[in-house]
Amino acid sequence: MAVREIEPIELELDRLEHMAESGYYNPYTLFDWPDAIEPDMPWMSESLTTLAGTPMWDELTREQQIALTKYEAINFFSLNIHGIRELMSEVVMRIHERTYANVSEFLHHFIGEENEHMWFFAQFCLRYGGKLYPAQPTLQADSVEHLSPVARELVVFARILIFEEIVDHYNAYMATDESLPHIAREINRVHHQDESRHVAFGRMIFTNLLGQVAKRDPDEVPLVAEYLENYLRYSIGTLYNPAAYRDAGIPDALALRRRALEHPARHAAHERILKRTRSFLTKAGVGRELVK
Amino acid sequence: MQAVRDFILERNPKLDRLDDDLDLIDSRAINSLAFVEFIFLLEELTGESIDPEELDLDDFRTLNAIGARFLKQKAAS
Repeated sequence: MAVREIEPIELELDRLEHMAESGYYNPYTLFDWPDAIEPDMPWMSESLTTLAGTPMWDELTREQQIALTKYEAINFFSLNIHGIRELMSEVVMRIHERTYANVSEFLHHFIGEENEHMWFFAQFCLRYGGKLYPAQPTLQADSVEHLSPVARELVVFARILIFEEIVDHYNAYMATDESLPHIAREINRVHHQDESRHVAFGRMIFTNLLGQVAKRDPDEVPLVAEYLENYLRYSIGTLYNPAAYRDAGIPDALALRRRALEHPARHAAHERILKRTRSFLTKAGVGRELVK
Repeated sequence: MQAVRDFILERNPKLDRLDDDLDLIDSRAINSLAFVEFIFLLEELTGESIDPEELDLDDFRTLNAIGARFLKQKAAS
């Protein structure tokens, strides 16, 4: 991490810090965990499963459909947990660097809240599903070595922001979905509430660092746009976990995954999931239209 | 093996040739973002599941290594 090449980050965070303080809660006592999830209830909104809107969903038995909502909920929360582990380790390493001195106060709230989110997501998975899905493998030779230190720094916070925005699309919907068990709704609601502050912060720091990238070398902006577009597609791909299909008793998981990812109804769903993020990236001047 | 080559070439339009001993990881022909899809492709081609917590990167480093570890094993079985 070469933060000395980055100009100090100055952001107006008083309002977000105040909200984090006044809205502080004890996650370990907040939730009323039932002994079991009611049978026959979906664990995640049916319209948010990876087969929604396709004939592949209609071909499932009702038992398979419910099982798919169960295992895709576990996959969704597992992705949250692994995403939080990644972002926490990145932020912890920066929290007392000079570059981040001005935002350090908010970063403490951020890490604290993320740790709590990781705890309640894992509670849900382990109590009711008995497991987490493992993190996807990563490579040491990463996909950002061609970028400057400041652009790599931008990518760190961009990954956090994109991850949070995608997750929030799901949380916002499930927070009020009456077809879900109460505990599933509550977890999504509480997470959605905290993430609105994190997304606001993420957009501010993204804009600051993108400005630094553009000032240093405007020609690097399309390279960042290309990385971000690949990252958006990668993130969508992680929602389609063949292990969840197998656990739901659906045969030919890998072929099913490929067919689902290619289905026009799913392309439309991906556009909906990414709409807010894409529009932010375009307004910031680093949208997919820059990708050759 | 052609499906493996197609996957890599499709994602690396600037690669005009793909040697069997090219280090796919160090050369970033397969990067972190593509790696998961690549594993799913290999699982589908071989019918063998690959545990993300147990995998050995050297098995994925070159086309030769991929052939020896995944594709020949299938032909022999």
